[in-house]
Amino acid sequence: MTFVVAAGGVLGGILVASAVGFSLSRLFAADLTRAELASWSLSTGLLVQSLLLAICVSIAPGCGPAPVLALDLLVVATALLVAPIPPPSPRARGGQGEGAILLLLAIAAAAWLVFLFSAIAEPMWSTDFLAIWGLKGKTIATTGHVPRRLFDDPTLYWAHREYPLLVPLSLAMMASFAGGWNDQALALLFPVCELATLFVLFGFLARRVSPLAGAAACALTALCFPLYRAVNAGTAEVPFAFSLVLVCCAFLDVLDRSLPSVRARLFAASLFCVSIKQEGTLFVGLLALALLVRRRREAWMLIAPPVLHWGALYLLRGPQTRRDFKFTFFQPRHWAELVPRFFHVLGRILGTEAIVGWLPLVAILVYLLVTRRGIADSLLTVFPLQILCYAIAFSVSSFDPIWAVGAFRRIALTLFPALTLALCARLPAGKPAASGAATAQP
Amino acid sequence: MSLAGRPTISPSPREGEGRGGGELRRGLAAALLLVVAASMAATIQPGELTRRWHLLVRSISGERISPGEGTGFLFDRDYSVFLEEVRRRTPEGATVAVLAPSWPDVYVYQAVYQLAPRRVVDARRAYEASFVAAYWIDAAVAPGAEAIPHGTLSQR
Repeated sequence: MTFVVAAGGVLGGILVASAVGFSLSRLFAADLTRAELASWSLSTGLLVQSLLLAICVSIAPGCGPAPVLALDLLVVATALLVAPIPPPSPRARGGQGEGAILLLLAIAAAAWLVFLFSAIAEPMWSTDFLAIWGLKGKTIATTGHVPRRLFDDPTLYWAHREYPLLVPLSLAMMASFAGGWNDQALALLFPVCELATLFVLFGFLARRVSPLAGAAACALTALCFPLYRAVNAGTAEVPFAFSLVLVCCAFLDVLDRSLPSVRARLFAASLFCVSIKQEGTLFVGLLALALLVRRRREAWMLIAPPVLHWGALYLLRGPQTRRDFKFTFFQPRHWAELVPRFFHVLGRILGTEAIVGWLPLVAILVYLLVTRRGIADSLLTVFPLQILCYAIAFSVSSFDPIWAVGAFRRIALTLFPALTLALCARLPAGKPAASGAATAQP
Repeated sequence: MSLAGRPTISPSPREGEGRGGGELRRGLAAALLLVVAASMAATIQPGELTRRWHLLVRSISGERISPGEGTGFLFDRDYSVFLEEVRRRTPEGATVAVLAPSWPDVYVYQAVYQLAPRRVVDARRAYEASFVAAYWIDAAVAPGAEAIPHGTLSQR
């Protein structure tokens, strides 16, 4: 099978997933722009497809994609019965600088194209893809079920059996559309996730701040080549960055107004986020804490999804140990050991990682000082706390903590698209769109 | 880039800010975002992009990019040929013991990934395997083994 044919199959799989996601997202997307709806369709579709695949292959191993497609049709039909009429999309805020908007969107598009051809130029190859995400996806795709040995074979002790399964299941599902495991064509999933990230950034900021803010966030995010580069095609970083932006947008909408549809979005985004990486549970937990501090009951929309997700994974694969961490460090008798380890890690992060990125870091800090407060400022406390938790996690590493810090830059960069949301939300707001006004429809 | 807009929606406009101060502030903000963007964009490697572009053009024209040509086997191109031969000669349900260098650890990861869904074990668990594939072991020193490119393969 040629690359073009396989890529066509993967694109078909992504479109099917998005169509299923669209039918469901419409139920909670009445107040979203079209750009946001496209992103929510992809995230919801990936979530539903991976869940259906896990259920189908558990009941009937080797059954192929047909039962999943049949269930897809059932989901779409049910969703159409519940909400048959497409909801009207809100219009973006008005604003000046249409030339600047077009220029920024053109920069974002060009940068996205760079990641697109970098990602699909050759079979995926990064170590994490081979050892974790790709291995699990390929094994599920080629055996037609989720083999127990992925979770209990001692020879795979390094394959992080405790990690969430959305990415491997999504890859396996796309492979069934491509007619086989083609690890070059499957890389398309990752630029598509970046595109969805750009869409949701633009749509959300155009709706809540201004199209210029949305375009600026798109350009900044797309130019983040340390995140959107070939080595990250095949790992969970790119989909995880997408999920962080989604959950941040839903969180900010909940702070603005607590409608049932907005709460449903927070639930869906939280579930998507925790299903991709373990760090998602941490981030969602911090957002829940931010809501609890404000005495907002919507915190349950962030707390319930991780419980459901980890409960479902427990049923699928039984208890899993976390070999990377030695939690006994948290016991009082080990505190004397833990504190120096923490400062050792902190020193390493500040001494190497922060020095490498000192220029953009200083620029961001000065930017926060010279700009007005924005609608996403509540996130600005969550990001440093997430980084702090990473430092604590490295401190309780089962291995040399400094060795673990090697992953810091890769992990921290997944926060950048969500950070651009907070940064660009500080740009001047546009005029609220009047009903029927001839403003741009993102 | 013009960042002029209507600041009336912003939650807490700074009081006493003159028009000139506001313009300066907006210009500075735009410049700072430009610095962040430029810092990120500067990490791009044009040579690497060119190489990838050529690979993509070949793929689109119908040519197969073998794993050995890609970045994943930069550490040892011959290993790709060896693994492909093992994959071709063993059934998917088999357990294969792969005897290869333990460092860099990507030897193990590549073997397990390229041979999936076969179960791959190392030398310590070779007794569990139905096939033993030895990288850079001459068939002459492995009696009963079949010579394959860059190694041997024996069935138990």
